Amino acid sequence: MSKYIFSFCFMLSLFLVQAQETQATKKATITNKTETEPAKAPKKATTAEVKKDSIPVKTDRYGVRFGVDLYKLTRGFYDKDYKGIEIVGDYRLSKKYYLAAEIGTEDKTTDDDRLNSTAKGSYIKAGFDYNLYQNWLDMENIISVGMRYGFSTFSQQLNTYKIYNANPYWGEVPPVVSGEKFSGLSASWLEVNAAVKAKVFNNIFIGFGVQLKTLISNKKPDNFDNLYIPGFNRTYNGNFGIGFNYTVSYFIPIYKKKVIIPVEIKK
Amino acid sequence: MKKILFIIIAVAFTFSGCEKDDICDANTPTTPRLVISFFDISNPSVPKNVRNLKVIGEGMTEGIVFNENAIDELKYITNGNTISIPLKTDATSTTYKFILNYNDPNTALINEDRLRFNYTHQNIFVSRACGFKTTFNLTPLAPFVLTDSDNQEGFWMQFIEVEDTNIELENETHVKIYF
Repeated sequence: MSKYIFSFCFMLSLFLVQAQETQATKKATITNKTETEPAKAPKKATTAEVKKDSIPVKTDRYGVRFGVDLYKLTRGFYDKDYKGIEIVGDYRLSKKYYLAAEIGTEDKTTDDDRLNSTAKGSYIKAGFDYNLYQNWLDMENIISVGMRYGFSTFSQQLNTYKIYNANPYWGEVPPVVSGEKFSGLSASWLEVNAAVKAKVFNNIFIGFGVQLKTLISNKKPDNFDNLYIPGFNRTYNGNFGIGFNYTVSYFIPIYKKKVIIPVEIKK
Repeated sequence: MKKILFIIIAVAFTFSGCEKDDICDANTPTTPRLVISFFDISNPSVPKNVRNLKVIGEGMTEGIVFNENAIDELKYITNGNTISIPLKTDATSTTYKFILNYNDPNTALINEDRLRFNYTHQNIFVSRACGFKTTFNLTPLAPFVLTDSDNQEGFWMQFIEVEDTNIELENETHVKIYF
């Protein structure tokens, strides 16, 4: 089931990238019409005169953006083993850098072949995003790479388990019902994140991001393991983890800053 | 600006070591069997091969398979000096019938002894793929109880010694039987 959701979201994200590209080319052609020469060249030459020009000065909007992960929010409707929410936010520090954070809570039952366990807890992730996308005019789209440090506190409940017996001479033993609860667990990790955020209208953004994670610390319970860590997702044998989100967010502008076109220093 | 991108890519490459962990590796130590070795009563340090031994769990109709490749009855027969037998993971004792010279034309040679092992057990977490395993501790006071078969033909096992009460791995002998 989650496989289809993933591919659906991925498909949507492709549309976002597509939309940006067509917009970009449209605007590029407009600038080419008004100025016979390529857009960048004359601007650099007339840096000093920009302020005197009657054309309005280009400004960048700075502010905070708040949003919610739609994937986590909607998953609870069709997956009875999952309840979760993630609030995302970022603050624009400079032209390209954004302070970014996610905070969330998850309640997930993992049903493996031999184990059934429930992980419950909250997490916070904080870090930065770096915008790689060169916006035209007043566009505010983002194709970013970034890093996060994540921390999660959670509890785990072992619901049922099976005994692995390579020699089942006495027959397979039915799954053992345990119900043992392990609380006070925690984990921290580092993640690298790639994301796309597109302004759909006014201050509303739709975003899609994928994360690669590596565990730094992982406090495991006695005689059990952390099979799922809220915020980190499923654990593997090593420290590796993956994640993704699909967000809708609202941008609250705080101030504007003039775009200063850097003067090229002669070498 | 390019530097930060380079660093991020470098970090991303360190996310390696993905291992497949859906299938329980056969080499992973899971629920151990009880390992019994046979020795010569007249020369206690020398291992002694049993002759056509068949081991059947109490209440079971089929014996323990000692030789997967053999056909029919021969699967359940061993002539070696070491056997591994599974214990019940959901009980505190397991009883086996040890039949020496099984199916011998000379019925006088056939001898059945019954051995009950008493133990405690605990379930230990192994991994996501393997789940849990059960390990056993033979009860120190009465780790085993030897009884004769219904035929009362006497015991072929002359002396039984517990080598290791902790049954955690299969690479060591837990019980020694001298005959």
